[in-house]
Amino acid sequence: MSASRTYREGAAQAAPKGDGASPAAIVEVTNLCKDFGAVSALRNVSIDIAPGEVRAICGENGAGKSTLVKILTGVYRPDAGSIKVAGQPCEISSPKMAQELGIALVAQELSLCPDLSVEANIWLGSVKVPLFHQRARFTQRAREALDLLGATRISLDTPVRQLGMGQRQLVEIARLLTRDARVLILDEPTATLSDIEIERIFSALVAIKQQGRSIIYITHRLAEVFQICDTVTVLRNGELIETRPVAGLDRKILIEMMLGRSFVEVYPEPITIRGEAALVVDGLSIPGSVSNFNVSAPRGTITCIAGQVGSGAVDVIDALAGLVYNASGRVSVNGVPVLLGSAVRALESDIMFISGDRAEEGIFRHLSVFDNLVATRLGSFSTLGMLRRAGLKATARNLAEQVGIDRRRLSSLADELSGGNQQKLAFGRCIGNRKSGVLVMNEPTRGIDVGARAEIYRIMRAFCAQGYTLIMTTNDLEETIGLADIIVTMYRGKLVGRYNRHEVDMHRLISDITHPVVVPAA
Amino acid sequence: MSTSPDHLNAGTPIKASDGFIGLPRSWRKRAIILVRLMSGAALVVAALVTPGFLTATSILSLLTTIPFIGCVAVGMTFITLSGNIMSFCLGATLSATTIVFMASVPIGLAGALVLAFLFSVLVTGAQGWMVGYFRANPIIVSMAVLALIYGFVTLFTGGRGIYPAGTETDILKGRIGWVPIPLAAFMVTVVLGQFLLSYTRFGRNVFMVGSNYRAALAAGIPAWRTITGAYIVAGLFTAVSAVLMAARYASGDMEHGLGYDYHAISAVVVGGNAIGGGQGSVVRTLLGTVIISILRGMLLLWGFSTQMQYLTTGIVVFGVIMLHSLGETR
Repeated sequence: MSASRTYREGAAQAAPKGDGASPAAIVEVTNLCKDFGAVSALRNVSIDIAPGEVRAICGENGAGKSTLVKILTGVYRPDAGSIKVAGQPCEISSPKMAQELGIALVAQELSLCPDLSVEANIWLGSVKVPLFHQRARFTQRAREALDLLGATRISLDTPVRQLGMGQRQLVEIARLLTRDARVLILDEPTATLSDIEIERIFSALVAIKQQGRSIIYITHRLAEVFQICDTVTVLRNGELIETRPVAGLDRKILIEMMLGRSFVEVYPEPITIRGEAALVVDGLSIPGSVSNFNVSAPRGTITCIAGQVGSGAVDVIDALAGLVYNASGRVSVNGVPVLLGSAVRALESDIMFISGDRAEEGIFRHLSVFDNLVATRLGSFSTLGMLRRAGLKATARNLAEQVGIDRRRLSSLADELSGGNQQKLAFGRCIGNRKSGVLVMNEPTRGIDVGARAEIYRIMRAFCAQGYTLIMTTNDLEETIGLADIIVTMYRGKLVGRYNRHEVDMHRLISDITHPVVVPAA
Repeated sequence: MSTSPDHLNAGTPIKASDGFIGLPRSWRKRAIILVRLMSGAALVVAALVTPGFLTATSILSLLTTIPFIGCVAVGMTFITLSGNIMSFCLGATLSATTIVFMASVPIGLAGALVLAFLFSVLVTGAQGWMVGYFRANPIIVSMAVLALIYGFVTLFTGGRGIYPAGTETDILKGRIGWVPIPLAAFMVTVVLGQFLLSYTRFGRNVFMVGSNYRAALAAGIPAWRTITGAYIVAGLFTAVSAVLMAARYASGDMEHGLGYDYHAISAVVVGGNAIGGGQGSVVRTLLGTVIISILRGMLLLWGFSTQMQYLTTGIVVFGVIMLHSLGETR
C-alpha cells in the first residue's frame, strides 16, 4: 500500500529482535507442541516477543496460527514446550489465567453487549471493580483508555449498538487496556472494517505500542503486515518457518515463505476485453442506500465496485442478485431487461450470486458437497418434480472437477471444507449450462488465505474466458487494483469514478471512496 | 471451463481434515454414537425383560398405536427439516380433522375423506404461508393457530364430540390381508415421506431452506413456497392419522389428538433430526416413533401411570437434546 502511511516507521522504540531468548521478552514460547489426534497442529514452535513490539503471525489456513493463539489465551493446553511471561515460567491453564497474566485477545467476533453503554462494556466482568466503588474514578480510567486510543469522540454513555464496527473495536481494546493487558492479540481485526476505520485502529495500535505493550497481529491481508508490524513470524503446517524483521522483506518473499514454494503471480492476467456490454445498469436506486448508480460491464471482464462499509457497494450487488425488494432502475443482461427484486427472476436472467459471507448466505453447511454443487440446477434435472439422480451425480462430479474439489469429497459435509474450498462450491454452483451469464459477488475472498485466493482468482478468470461477466465488491483495495478490469468507486450511495485497468492508483481510490474528506466521529 | 484441474489442485492440497478441531470433534461424535447405541441396547434389554412385552397382544397394541403417532411425526419432520422447529398445533389439527371427517360422513365416505384432508391441509398450509412468506415466528404462529382451532371447534360443537350412527367408516378399521389398515397407511406414509425428501426437487429444497434460508434465497430457491409446501405435507400426513383415528373410535372429538403434538415432537427429536432444520430424515423419525412407543408400552406393562409415562418421555427427550447440543459445541 504505497499511499498509506507506514506506521511501522512512526515508532522506533521496538528494535526487532533476533532469535535466542532475551531476558527482556514479555512472552517467550519455547518448543511448543500440540497434537490433535494424528494431526500435529504445532511442532516445536518457539517465539519471543519484546515489549512494544508488533508481531505479525502469517500462514495459510491450518498453519497453526489459531492453535498458537488458543494456547496463549488458555483455551488449549500445549502437549509440550514452555511459556514464560515476563521471565516467569507459567502454565496458562484457563482464559481467566491468561487475562491475569496480561494476555488479551481481541476476537473477530467482538464480545460487547450492544445495549449497554460504552462505559458499562468497558468494566463489564472486570475483577478490578469492587462492589462499592467511586464511580468517578472508574469513569475517569475508562475515558483515559479511550483517549489513549484516539477515540476522544466516543461518549462513555453511548449504547454500543449506536457505534460503528471500528468504534466497537476501539471500545473492546480500551476494555483490555483497563485490565492491564500487556500483550494484545488481534485476530483479523480489519476483516469487517472500512479503510477509514482501519486507519484509526492502526493509530490506536501505535499508541498502545508506544506504551510498551506488545501486539500479536494475525491477518490475511499482507499489506497490513508491512504497514504496522515490526516483525513477522511465518508458520506453515504447524511448523515455525522463520521470524524476521519486516524491514527488508517484500510481499513476494513473504508469500513464498507462507506457501513454501515459489509463487508466480497472485492475480492472473486478464484476457482481452470482448467489447459489447453484457451487463448494463442504469439509474439503480435503493431508498436509503444507493441513488442513481450506473455501470456498464463488457463481456468477459471483472468489475470491482470499491467503497467503504455503508457506501452502497454491497447494496448494489445485493440488488443485482434480486435480494433487495425495493430497488428500482433499469438493468439488462445481454440486452434483455431484468426485473429486480426477486432472486428467482435474477437467476432466470442468468445473474448468479456469490457471497463472501459463506455461513450466512453462501453455502448450506449441513448439506453435502454434492447438494451444494447442484443446488441451483435441480430444475433441469427433474421430471414432474422428481429428480434424475444419475444425471445430478454426473453433473456434480463434473463441476467438482472444474473448480478443483476432490470428487471423493462429494459426500462430505460442506462444513468440513476450508473457507477456500467452500467458496469453490459457490463458484461450482454457478458454472453453467448457461453460457455468458453474470456473476455478482460480495467479497468473494473474505477470510480466504493467500494460496486459496490465487485459485479463486484463477477460477474467476476462467469464468471470464467462458464469456461470463463478473461484478464484485471487495474491502481489499489491493485486490481491487490487482484483479479488476474496471473499477467503479462509490461514496455514500453515489458513484464517484469509473476507471479502466492501470488507469488508477491506490491514492486515487482512497481519495475517491473517502471523498469528500469528512471524518466521522470516532 | 478451460482451466485445467491439475493447475487448480496445485494450490492447496485437500487435507484429510481442514482445521485443527477435526479430530476431537469426531471423538466427541464417536462418544455420542456410543451413548446412542448403549441407550438403544438398554431399551431393547429392558423391553425383553419386561414381563408380557413379547406377547402377541402387546406387540399388536404397539402396532396399533405406532401409526397414529407416526403419521403426525412424519408430518412434523417436514416442518422441522424446513427450519421451522416444531408446530404445537398438529394435535389440535388432528382432533379438529376427526370432527370434520365424522361430521361430513353423511355425504359419503369419499366426500368426507376429501373434506378432512382439505381441512387439515388448509389449516397447516395457512400457517406455512404465514411462516414462509412473512417470516413469522413458527412457534408463535402454531400457538396462535392452536388457540384458533380450539376456539372455533368448541364454538361449533359446543365442546361435544361427534358420534355418527352409521358404520361407513368401519372399513378403515379393517385389514389388507394380514396388515391392519392403519399400519399399512403408516408404511405408505413413511415411504412416501422419505421419497419426497430424497427423490424430489421439493424435498431437496426443504433441506436447503432449512439448512440456510438466506443462502437458499440467494440460490434462487422459492423459499416461501417450499416452506408452505412442507406445512402442507405435514397437514396431509396429520389428516391420515386423523381419519384412521376417527374410524377407530367411531367418533370425532377434540380429545383424540390430545398430546399428539408432544409425542410427534418427541419422535422427531429422539430419532435424531436436527432441531434447527436441514438435517434428518423420515427414517430417523420412524426410529424415534418406535423408540417412544416401545418406551410407553413398556411403562404401561410395568403398571406406571400416564403421568409417569409423560415424565419418562420428558426425560428421554431432554437427554437426547442434551446429547445433541454436546455434539454441536466445538
